[in-house]
Amino acid sequence: MIYLDNAATTRPDPAVLEAMAQAREDYGNASSVHRLGVAAAKAVEMARAAVAEALQVRPDEVVFTSGGTEANNLALKGVLLAGARRGHLVISAVEHPSVLEPARALQRLGCRLSLVGTDSDGVIDLSALAKLLTERTSLVSVMHANNETGALQPLAEIGRLCRRRGVLFHTDASQSFTKEALEPRRVGADLVTMSAHKIHGPKGVGALYVRPGFRLEPILHGGGQEGGLRSGTHNTAAILGFGAAVGLSRARDAARVRRLRDRLEARLRELVPGLRRNGPRARRVCGILSVTIPRGRAGDLLQALSREGVCASAGAACSAAVAHPSHVLLAMGLSADEAGRTLRLSLSRWTTAAEVESVARIIARLAQR
Amino acid sequence: MSPQKAAETLDLSGVPCPQNAARALLRIEGMAPGSVLAVILDDGEPIRNVPPVLEAEGHKELFRARENKGWRLVMRRGDR
Repeated sequence: MIYLDNAATTRPDPAVLEAMAQAREDYGNASSVHRLGVAAAKAVEMARAAVAEALQVRPDEVVFTSGGTEANNLALKGVLLAGARRGHLVISAVEHPSVLEPARALQRLGCRLSLVGTDSDGVIDLSALAKLLTERTSLVSVMHANNETGALQPLAEIGRLCRRRGVLFHTDASQSFTKEALEPRRVGADLVTMSAHKIHGPKGVGALYVRPGFRLEPILHGGGQEGGLRSGTHNTAAILGFGAAVGLSRARDAARVRRLRDRLEARLRELVPGLRRNGPRARRVCGILSVTIPRGRAGDLLQALSREGVCASAGAACSAAVAHPSHVLLAMGLSADEAGRTLRLSLSRWTTAAEVESVARIIARLAQR
Repeated sequence: MSPQKAAETLDLSGVPCPQNAARALLRIEGMAPGSVLAVILDDGEPIRNVPPVLEAEGHKELFRARENKGWRLVMRRGDR
């Protein structure tokens, strides 16, 4: 089998699974003060230090969550619900549903929501963003790397804009964490979402970087874990796995994956006349390739690929089963028909050159039937 | 015992138990045997709970002193 759906999720690294097995011994509650509790707390703090180091922030600025979706919900609802009055939220039109939907939920609660559009590469329009910011704007949320096209957003420019206007800035880095350089302080991000299962870690764990100095309303209330921002007993095994996954991520892997991704694109262009890439040529996260085939339906092609042992997707995995066209591709100016002919091929550090060649040939054969 | 100069200081004020003990352990275990670590702790549970956890792992309390509203705990890293 050739797995090219790594933007949906990745295979856990064996070393991650080994780290998680430590929870068999350290099974205490990480909030208990006895020996087993301290051992579990120590494991959690080791993982927190690893995540913090990857972002060049302090460990106490990292809040563990149940994943990227919860981290995004905490960022948006945490800021907007902390204000005494309902504020204004600005997000990009190409955000993941885990940002779009909490934003719409906040809108139903009385917040004002503005969407900022993108160019044909899926990169947000900075001047449009600048015009949307008002005195009432509480938060701007723009993802780092798009989950469908890999397009990287100009975080530093957005951060500068937000700082000048006194607006908090959140970025969903679920697809880019450890793959692209990201230092929240450098780009002016106040909140950063991370996910473990996109980097060969376990599902069910993520984190939110929270810069100190502003109030965030928790969305889960209870025992006051994670500095009161995320109540609930720590998922020690998953957090251990997350820490291990971060420790295993290497910049050289990202460079290799990028070369393979570019090779796949080049081969597909050679073998499938009329095939088009979506997203910027260079400013893309390393593993994602979005292509629109000249004819046929992506769904049919994916089924055929699956029968040949190739796993890919038509766009975001979350919406793969949903019939409506991708909001990301539509925002970039593709027609519904073009969006319906679009495939997402996403590589990992375990993808090989032979797999890339094989997939290019299989797609070429199937797409031209 | 006279106060010994700590090589590093770890401020754990506001950090609850047992997270404070866990962070103190991680820091002292990263130091060379015999090194001295000063830990700033809140009064109450933290100053009661953290020293025994560190001593159970082989580190030695050198002294503790009131500091502002909390405590300065000075520990020497053990050999193991």
